Amino acid sequence: MEKTRKSKKRLNAAKELTRVVADYYLECNAAKREGKPIGWMPPMNGAIELFYAMDLQPVFPENWSPVCAAFGLTPNNFAVAEKMGYSRDLCGYLRNITGYVHSNMNDEGVPLGGLPEPDMLLSPGAGCIPVMKIFHILERRFPHARVFRADLPQVAVEDIKEHHIAYAEYEIQRLIDFLAEATGRKLDYDRLKQVVVLSDQACALWDEIMSYRKYIPTPFSAAEIGIMFVMVTRQGTKEAVDFLTMVRDEVKEKALGGVGVVEEEKIRLFWDNIPLWYNMGLFNYFEKMGGVVVAETYSAAWSLRLDTENPIRALAMKSLMSYPLVSCVSVDKRKEMVLKACKDYSIDGAILHRNKSCVPITLGQMDIKRALEEELGIPSVIIDADHMDDQNFSVAQFETRVDAFMEMLLEKKGLVL
Amino acid sequence: MSSPLVKPFQENLSGYMERLEKLSGQGKKIIGYFCTYTPIELIHAAGFLPVRIMGGTGQIDTAYSLAPNFICPPLLLSLDKAMQGKYAFLSGVVQSYTCDVVCGLVNIWEENIGGEIYHSMALPYNDSPEGRRFYRASIQELITKLESIGGTITEASLRTSLELYTTIRNLILGLYSLRFQGRLPLSASDLHAVIQAGFVTPPQEYRTMLQHLLNQVRLDGTSIVEGVPLLISGSIIDDLLVMDIIEESGGCVVADDLCTGYRHFYPSCGRGDNALDCIIDRYSCRFPCPARTRAIERVPLLMDLAQRSGARGIAFIFQKFCTPHLSDFPILKEELGKAGMPNFHIELDAAGITEGQLRTRVQAFIEMLED
Repeated sequence: MEKTRKSKKRLNAAKELTRVVADYYLECNAAKREGKPIGWMPPMNGAIELFYAMDLQPVFPENWSPVCAAFGLTPNNFAVAEKMGYSRDLCGYLRNITGYVHSNMNDEGVPLGGLPEPDMLLSPGAGCIPVMKIFHILERRFPHARVFRADLPQVAVEDIKEHHIAYAEYEIQRLIDFLAEATGRKLDYDRLKQVVVLSDQACALWDEIMSYRKYIPTPFSAAEIGIMFVMVTRQGTKEAVDFLTMVRDEVKEKALGGVGVVEEEKIRLFWDNIPLWYNMGLFNYFEKMGGVVVAETYSAAWSLRLDTENPIRALAMKSLMSYPLVSCVSVDKRKEMVLKACKDYSIDGAILHRNKSCVPITLGQMDIKRALEEELGIPSVIIDADHMDDQNFSVAQFETRVDAFMEMLLEKKGLVL
Repeated sequence: MSSPLVKPFQENLSGYMERLEKLSGQGKKIIGYFCTYTPIELIHAAGFLPVRIMGGTGQIDTAYSLAPNFICPPLLLSLDKAMQGKYAFLSGVVQSYTCDVVCGLVNIWEENIGGEIYHSMALPYNDSPEGRRFYRASIQELITKLESIGGTITEASLRTSLELYTTIRNLILGLYSLRFQGRLPLSASDLHAVIQAGFVTPPQEYRTMLQHLLNQVRLDGTSIVEGVPLLISGSIIDDLLVMDIIEESGGCVVADDLCTGYRHFYPSCGRGDNALDCIIDRYSCRFPCPARTRAIERVPLLMDLAQRSGARGIAFIFQKFCTPHLSDFPILKEELGKAGMPNFHIELDAAGITEGQLRTRVQAFIEMLED
């Protein structure tokens, strides 16, 4: 296997996804030319729905990093960041976006036109430390951008209480006021409600799509997880709902028709932690042994349904819950989710990506590993890698571990290669 | 050579685990905390003893079975010690959310070590009236948890605990003040040992020890370390050897911006109509950790510390993999450079200090300052 490789996709929707991604970045750059205010923000919070409701352009530097990885821009971005003094021990997202914005970010030849410069920065006081530090770096890089210093309680999902929600609601309201003041655009609450309805529809579709993966054989694997793009960048839009509807229809047909990913699906796998964006082809590696990755932790972040009758509270809850659900803020909840998913998706084995670029998701993995084994008898294997930096990924080590793991799983099921 | 004045503190430090084990055996509930944002006054006011969890020095044996090797060594060492049963005297861990690793570690600790109370308190990042209302609600939530394990907090007990810790902080800041004036007859490692002892000594006893020490050092009134005045900045330092190396290499530590130093004590108290408001005010206005602020906002604070202490350069001492500090460093380096404040950085890893390399780097920096 190569160190960097694109995944082999089998869904027809994959072609449509290429268009959706290109359209989004074209839209971002067109917005700049047309004078539509552009705000850079972290993903997984309620700001995206506010932006679409106020006809503002949301841009996600975190989402740009996988694009950089896919197009091979990361080595240069890392080199620029390292030259500035950013340690190689820091998160790859931080180093990549720092390098990107401090080099020739909009040069001709930058894929998809690059990112348009921000008019506003929604700088989080929440989420993980690297994402906060990314925005501190961006504040300095784009001194003319208006900065909203967001603040959200970092609390485990199971511990959320009324005072956490009240503060998150206050922050959503404060953001609405900031956006109105910074852009001169007033929020139409009826429009917000429509956007929240669309956002919730996307979540419902997401859940439905994921539910078809419970079928044996599963209709698609983690190699297609790029469909998540619309959940990151398009939540609250008709584009997201239309795209997910198309995916749902295709996946449903395959699931009901018994069309799987490989000829004979022998082993069903679970993936914990962020994928290796520079090597999505890794998800195809298991296929030669009849293995398919049918579920992952990361996709759970997009399953949060929204209370459409109470948009502000819905956005507050979404902002509070998304990050803790997939990180060490909520180890208990995460463990519970992984165990449930492994049962629901008939998982034979789990692959735990020990991700040097993401400590918050990696911490707690060993407890999950033990629980999988003790409570469900599901074996797992640790893969040492990095979701952004291929220098922290050894192909040989991966192959050795995975081959042995797959052989063991096959033997356990009384199957052979 | 260590000053005889710090001997009682060193004795407390050397045998603290056995003493706390004994205290716990006598029925005293001891609650651990990692970070200086934890409102220890509340834990004490509830009738419990707050004790800071320290990694100390040594090899990491078992912690890698629960945590990855790319988190900072002090936290790995702490977990290692807990897994060996050395923190069995703790009834649990209470923590404020600061860095991601500490937050995750509290959950791992709860899952694997056991105890009756585990709590991560969410803090506001913005200091605003609404932020403080939220802070108050978070504190109330902690109070409820402390009461659920038998604690009782009243305005009077809170006031008493607040006064006790304010006195301690003032005494420590008194030592810092003498150090700024070049009148503290203690080396950097001696002062650090005095501070570390306070993390694991019952506060009434520690207050008395500090009062005695301050009376004695005031009588003495001369610095025993000669060298280029330096400010050291970083997170946790458990291994005192780092400071000895700096001072043996021609430096004199006159100030610090450490999690196990000045940041834990400054300011000594906050303002407010009642004890809770005073606590909230202090934690809202305290000398910030990089996990909770911007690099650019730390620059004037570091320059001010350097100015007050007479530091001519800053030595950044980072724990390997410490994201908050490592992320801030390029901006700090650039801005301090613009302000004419020379600086350099060293990283401490799990293998401990590479003494020769550290001495060479410190000596080179000091020679540069002397030129």
